[in-house]
Amino acid sequence: MTAMLPTAMSAISLYSATAALVLPLLAFAAIMLGTRPHPRLSAGISIAAISISLAAAISLLVRHWGLETPAVFQTTWLVSGEMQVPVGILLDPTSLLMLTVVATISFLVQIYSLGYMAGDPGFSRYYGLMSLFAWAMLSLSISSSLLQLFVFWELVGLSSYLLIGFWFEKFSASEAGKKAFVMTRFGDVAFMLGLILLWLQLGNLDFDRLNDAGFVTGRLSPGMTTLTALLIFGGVVGKSAQFPLLTWLPDAMEGPTPVSALLHSATMVAAGVYLLARLFGFFMLSPTMMSVCLAVGTISLLLASSMAMVARDIKQVWAYSTISQLGFMLMGLGAGSFFAGVFHLLTHAGFKALLFLCAGAFIHHYDTNDMFEIGRKGGRSLTSAMICMVVAAGALSGLPPLSGFFSKELILGRLLELHNPVWFIAGALGAFLTAYYAFRLIFIILRPREIETVTPGGLQDGHHNSGGARAMAGVLWILAGVAVVLGFFQSPVLHFLRRALGAGQSLPIEHHGWLPVAACLLAVAAIALAWMEFGRRQASQKGFVERMPAVAALFANRWYLDHLYRLLLNKLVYGGISRLFTWNDRRVIDGAVDGMGLSTVRLGAVIARLHTGMIQSRLMIVFAVVAVLILYFGLGG
Amino acid sequence: MIVPFNHVLLLSALLFLLGMFCTLTRRNLVMILLGVEIMLNAASMAFIGAGLRWQQMEGQAVVIFILAVAATEVSVGLALIISVYRRTHAIDPDAQAWPAEEGSP
Repeated sequence: MTAMLPTAMSAISLYSATAALVLPLLAFAAIMLGTRPHPRLSAGISIAAISISLAAAISLLVRHWGLETPAVFQTTWLVSGEMQVPVGILLDPTSLLMLTVVATISFLVQIYSLGYMAGDPGFSRYYGLMSLFAWAMLSLSISSSLLQLFVFWELVGLSSYLLIGFWFEKFSASEAGKKAFVMTRFGDVAFMLGLILLWLQLGNLDFDRLNDAGFVTGRLSPGMTTLTALLIFGGVVGKSAQFPLLTWLPDAMEGPTPVSALLHSATMVAAGVYLLARLFGFFMLSPTMMSVCLAVGTISLLLASSMAMVARDIKQVWAYSTISQLGFMLMGLGAGSFFAGVFHLLTHAGFKALLFLCAGAFIHHYDTNDMFEIGRKGGRSLTSAMICMVVAAGALSGLPPLSGFFSKELILGRLLELHNPVWFIAGALGAFLTAYYAFRLIFIILRPREIETVTPGGLQDGHHNSGGARAMAGVLWILAGVAVVLGFFQSPVLHFLRRALGAGQSLPIEHHGWLPVAACLLAVAAIALAWMEFGRRQASQKGFVERMPAVAALFANRWYLDHLYRLLLNKLVYGGISRLFTWNDRRVIDGAVDGMGLSTVRLGAVIARLHTGMIQSRLMIVFAVVAVLILYFGLGG
Repeated sequence: MIVPFNHVLLLSALLFLLGMFCTLTRRNLVMILLGVEIMLNAASMAFIGAGLRWQQMEGQAVVIFILAVAATEVSVGLALIISVYRRTHAIDPDAQAWPAEEGSP
């Protein structure tokens, strides 16, 4: 990638960026320290902070829309000998778009949560943690160096852990939080090793230097570049829940649904893809890396799609779908199209957040996660959520003119240009399966076999006619609007992003005339299949996968990945390492501490003999001491 | 001086040790007081010997003071012993419930 000469940042941009970052942190501190007993006040503080951040983010985006070079502000954070650790803000098209997406989705989700979380005993804590997440994620988006990004990367991991385990009284929720934390940590260890290697080799982790091919190739051998890129990619795999670390994301659905919408679909898990886009120039230097990226993305896409085809839990379906769509983004990036990956990241953030929030509306209303049960209880009478969900599912499936159609077509177009047709076929198969499982869910809810009338006449949309319910519905409509129109902004966004790539590297996107039609037909065919199996009146509501019990069991058990991990955990960690540590703890550490205690007790018993209370023995000691002193001073002096 | 000064010091040291032994080992308050007196007298003897050795009056003057202090000490000490005996009917130091020794075995 050609070197981009960053310009200094104007004062007003600096101030608004700083305000966008710092306010959610202040809100977090204020809520946790002060206003926890007052839920409404806490929510107010948190929403006020995120709305100012959103306003700042949008103003930054508008101000820098015509930006020619990225704007950078950097200052020194730590100095140790010759090592200088900078901290700063980098505003370039990629980071500005990410900043705006994060601020927008955070804002909408916090508004939505007013209704969803109403009456929860942890309401204040919820908003405090949401602010913590907003701070960490916004800061991650506009970090100027890889090290700074890593710090916030871990902070979003922490807030993810806290929010998944938000209902920590539930054992499964706290276990899921732990699992998410530990599994992402695997990737992060690799990430950190890569970071340290890069630091040792280059002494500089700023993004503009790392993406500068001339700077990197002069200092790193190709093998080293591949190694560090693969290690950093480990972090991406963990955070974005890609193969083989993908099983934490479905479990993360134990958290509140707005959390799943914000963290585990739209923003936090996309941080992995964002990092890849951020370091795209660096990753491009290693062709091996790009192939690995393509392969991991493809495997994740197909695995997760297959799992989604048999899931019954509405949130699990969208979780698998998130994994597969993130895999799809990795395919786009791995195939060498920066724009396709980032644009799909944008559109996906919108429609996937919408899907989760719609699912949240159903779960909130019917108090169940099972899609068959929601259908039976009359899910289709929740009209606004139902319409929004159909729109979002259409976007997910890539139906024109919704946003997903445009971004998917870009990625498929890019895959087609590769020499090996396997990638394109895998991508197309993934797109087909995606449309199939999305509309399987829609038809199951929309056309249930038997309808229970649990509460007759009461299940209209205005059932909860409070402010909270209206806020929830309003957010759904806004996001649905975004899903509809975002696709038409493809070319302005493309021009905007092209500057991020530098003039020499802008990859022309060839338009295959037949591809949009083919992609569209593919989606329609998948939907037709879903209709045949789930929608029409005589349908058995059993998918073609479920007719093959062995395959269905394989898919439903997540390809036995969890069993494999559990086995490894039992044999290797609990049976081996853990036992060794337990032995060490019992014998060596406990033994040492107990020994110290025991010897003190024994010494005390010895000393206690002097302390009998007999004045004569005391007197004897006095005499002895005086005699020793006389000997010492009289003879020695 | 007929007797060598060394001998005087040796005798007073012996006497002091005897007094110390008495103070430390006897289980009787009166005998303990007696031991203290013997130690005082051993010190007085060393003072007198030193006064003779260097032909100074201060040695004898200090001995007069020691006699006075010893007399008061004995009178106060005996009065205390009698008071203790009246309260507890014992003059064994170990048999006394000394106020500061609440916690000791």
